Amino acid sequence: MKHIRRFTALLLMFSVLLTVFGGCGSEGTEGSGADTVLGSGSSVLRIISGSENAELEPILEEFAEQENIRIEMTYQGSLDIMRLLGEEEIPYDAVWPASSLWLTVGDTEHRIKHAESISITPVVFGIRKSLAEELGFTGREVSVSDLLQAIQSGKLRFCMTSATQSNSGASAYIGFLYALLGNPEVITEEDLQSESLKTQMKELLSGVDRSSGSSDWLKDMFLEGNYDAMVNYECLIIQANRELEERGEEPLYTVYPYDGLSIADSPLGYVDKGEDRQEELFLKLQEYLLSEKTQNKIQRTGRRSGYTGVSEENRDVFRSDWGMQPDRVLSPIKMPAADVLFECLNLYQTDFRKPSLTVYCLDYSGSMSGSGNKQLVQAMEQLLIQENARENFLQASENEINILIPFDDGVIDTYTAEGNGSELEALYDEVKNQEVGGGTNMYAAAVRGIEMLKEYDLSQYTPAIILLTDGQSGGSIYDFEPVYAELGTRVPVFSIMFGDADETQLEELAEYTNARVFDGRENLTEAFRSVKGYN
Amino acid sequence: MKTKLIGLGILAAVIIAAAAYVFISNRQAVTEINGYVGGEKIGLLEDEEVQDILRDRYKLVIDYAKAGSIDMITADAGGRDFLFPSNQTALELYRQYNGDPLKSEIILNTPIVLYTRSAVAQALTDSGIASLNDGVYTVDMVKLTGAIENGTAWAEIGLPQLYGSMTVGTTDPTKSNSGNMFAGLLANTLCGGVADESSLDEILPRLQNIFQKLGYMESSSSDLFDQFLKTGMGAKPLIAGYENQLLEFAVENPDTWEQIKGDIVMMYPTPTVWSSHVYIALDEMGTDGIDALLDQDIQRIAWEKHGFRTGVYDTPTDAEHFGVSGIADEITQVAPMPDASTMDRIIKALL
Repeated sequence: MKHIRRFTALLLMFSVLLTVFGGCGSEGTEGSGADTVLGSGSSVLRIISGSENAELEPILEEFAEQENIRIEMTYQGSLDIMRLLGEEEIPYDAVWPASSLWLTVGDTEHRIKHAESISITPVVFGIRKSLAEELGFTGREVSVSDLLQAIQSGKLRFCMTSATQSNSGASAYIGFLYALLGNPEVITEEDLQSESLKTQMKELLSGVDRSSGSSDWLKDMFLEGNYDAMVNYECLIIQANRELEERGEEPLYTVYPYDGLSIADSPLGYVDKGEDRQEELFLKLQEYLLSEKTQNKIQRTGRRSGYTGVSEENRDVFRSDWGMQPDRVLSPIKMPAADVLFECLNLYQTDFRKPSLTVYCLDYSGSMSGSGNKQLVQAMEQLLIQENARENFLQASENEINILIPFDDGVIDTYTAEGNGSELEALYDEVKNQEVGGGTNMYAAAVRGIEMLKEYDLSQYTPAIILLTDGQSGGSIYDFEPVYAELGTRVPVFSIMFGDADETQLEELAEYTNARVFDGRENLTEAFRSVKGYN
Repeated sequence: MKTKLIGLGILAAVIIAAAAYVFISNRQAVTEINGYVGGEKIGLLEDEEVQDILRDRYKLVIDYAKAGSIDMITADAGGRDFLFPSNQTALELYRQYNGDPLKSEIILNTPIVLYTRSAVAQALTDSGIASLNDGVYTVDMVKLTGAIENGTAWAEIGLPQLYGSMTVGTTDPTKSNSGNMFAGLLANTLCGGVADESSLDEILPRLQNIFQKLGYMESSSSDLFDQFLKTGMGAKPLIAGYENQLLEFAVENPDTWEQIKGDIVMMYPTPTVWSSHVYIALDEMGTDGIDALLDQDIQRIAWEKHGFRTGVYDTPTDAEHFGVSGIADEITQVAPMPDASTMDRIIKALL
């Protein structure tokens, strides 16, 4: 019997070798659409993750190299990941949102297996240290109301991610709701109908300087700009402080609002499609991440990990002069039941958030004709037709303004729509009916966009220009810079790369305006969705 | 060179022959049965020792699909040989829909318990809600339920580091068995006996109130337990689960358990309810599973490695190997669950 076992084992080994080598070259070199590719093996593990895990790339890369595989990371906000779970196709092997809440709510088809928390980090306020001292937030317990007072009196302005796209933004927003409702046991549907809640929440969110679709992007944006505070994960405050300190700048002080705290438990789950090899690979990665050695490394990035909190040797990461409290008992607020939670998110999108002022500069040059134009019209339909927008929490609010500037080698025309009613949907007709032809000059359109923004009191809005182009543009950034400088505030010019667009031109513009370039070549609708998270 | 090649050829032939022999002989002898299984038992069914016993002694392979205990009764059971839910309510429901099954038998038991941290256990004891006797913690369900209904803050029982008022974290009772059974236990507590149709009108609003305060609830017992262990005392101060969850965890993760055992406390509600894992055979092939799973060695493994109390091990004498302190020798204070139609109304009220 023993012999037979050994023979079978040998045979198994052969067949494994065969599959391993047989798999070579079949999988590919084709464009993956991922944000980051780690390692270079032929087997691939595709992970869709909250952007906060970008900080763990070196740790993932080590595994990829050790196992000779490739890990493809695609980053999205946790709520976007939740929505993805509801779709028929999940083109990833693993999901890694910031909180298990979105995993459980989204996984209605029970396709996620082996989900396990990889690390823990609370959502906190990081406030420029001298300002935190001035506001009296250091060395004592701070409530959400204390923060609200500072915001309402205009002493504190902050950045947060979009509550309808990202876990950190959603968590902070739910914390705000509790505080404004006088800390009820749990938020109910009736609580949300209050008029005074609406007034106060709008006032509160008017203190938001900038927004983004996921937490690590918010941190990056924060470091590029000149802001006072941000709501983000404790681990990303640590990352930000490391960079601020390196630059010789003032670090952020961490405030843990005791009545509005949330915890991100970072679950990594497997998308079960019945592929044994992928499942094995996944479990290996998970085991690696949960091993004592890796957990220790993860903790060095500022995450609380494992069953035992912060170890003695890593206490230096959670610096008390940054307000960090590694021993704090993290006692979070209760998340409302799923239906109430979604009502909260709808209200954020339509009633509470600062209205956005968005200028769409859309390319109608000759090269867009055919499929390019068709994809553009489809993508805009998802944003402008409100019935579609609602499915992705992208509905317009009642006071927002949308401007459309179609361009070729110059500005073709401009259209403005106020609010979320018929004017907005009429904008879609213009998008659909505009004809295609001529050359490309995106700078001309961007300049016109800036000029139009000058007519508004921008402090009342979250302004942004969203530029879509598919080719090398005439003109140059020098046409744009002087007009932009006159504006006085740093409005981001996001762009969506399409067709043969010149990435360097777009990156230049994004860097100059503290914005980002999105790749619309794989999925244009997805790109528009992501960029909308920023306003 | 040539002889080497021939040698290799012979070796390959022997390997193939041997493998074919093993393959064929297994195929001839072993029957595969297939059914729906509640998630809590997957660790046991995946246990290689258990699989070996099933195959060697009973010529059985048990294949399964994971399903909720209530869901599996109403699901299409075509092609399935058995159902293996985690409570007896499911058997009752089965009888209501389909009449008596071919055969049914309780295979495993585990009581509903509460899990908490040492600081919380201390505070609950000091405030008279829990008590410690011979190293075993028990919780007075009437007092605990009262504190929850009154909205007693954690701070009031001496835990100012915990935000908000006292609750017991459970899974969603409309989706998961442990939450469902805890709801049954609360219903019993509220009516001071075993809840039935006549007591429901009075207790349903109170039950709704208790569960509404919980807000969002997890839908899987294992996820809730994992979060309890990992997110710390602040996030999940007190949760409801199965006794076997901690025992199985301690066996499977001895190193981790060694690090955290000083802080994790298991408490037995008085009274509690049994989660009885009842095997329902749907056809002749399915009945073989009952005898096999009642095999003495499987029953021993179910206790020793997975923490399920079984016929022989209901009052175990050997609990030391878990390294878990405070395991009750005997679960004496047990109330029956409310009957199936009462539970049905409770679930509907909590939807």
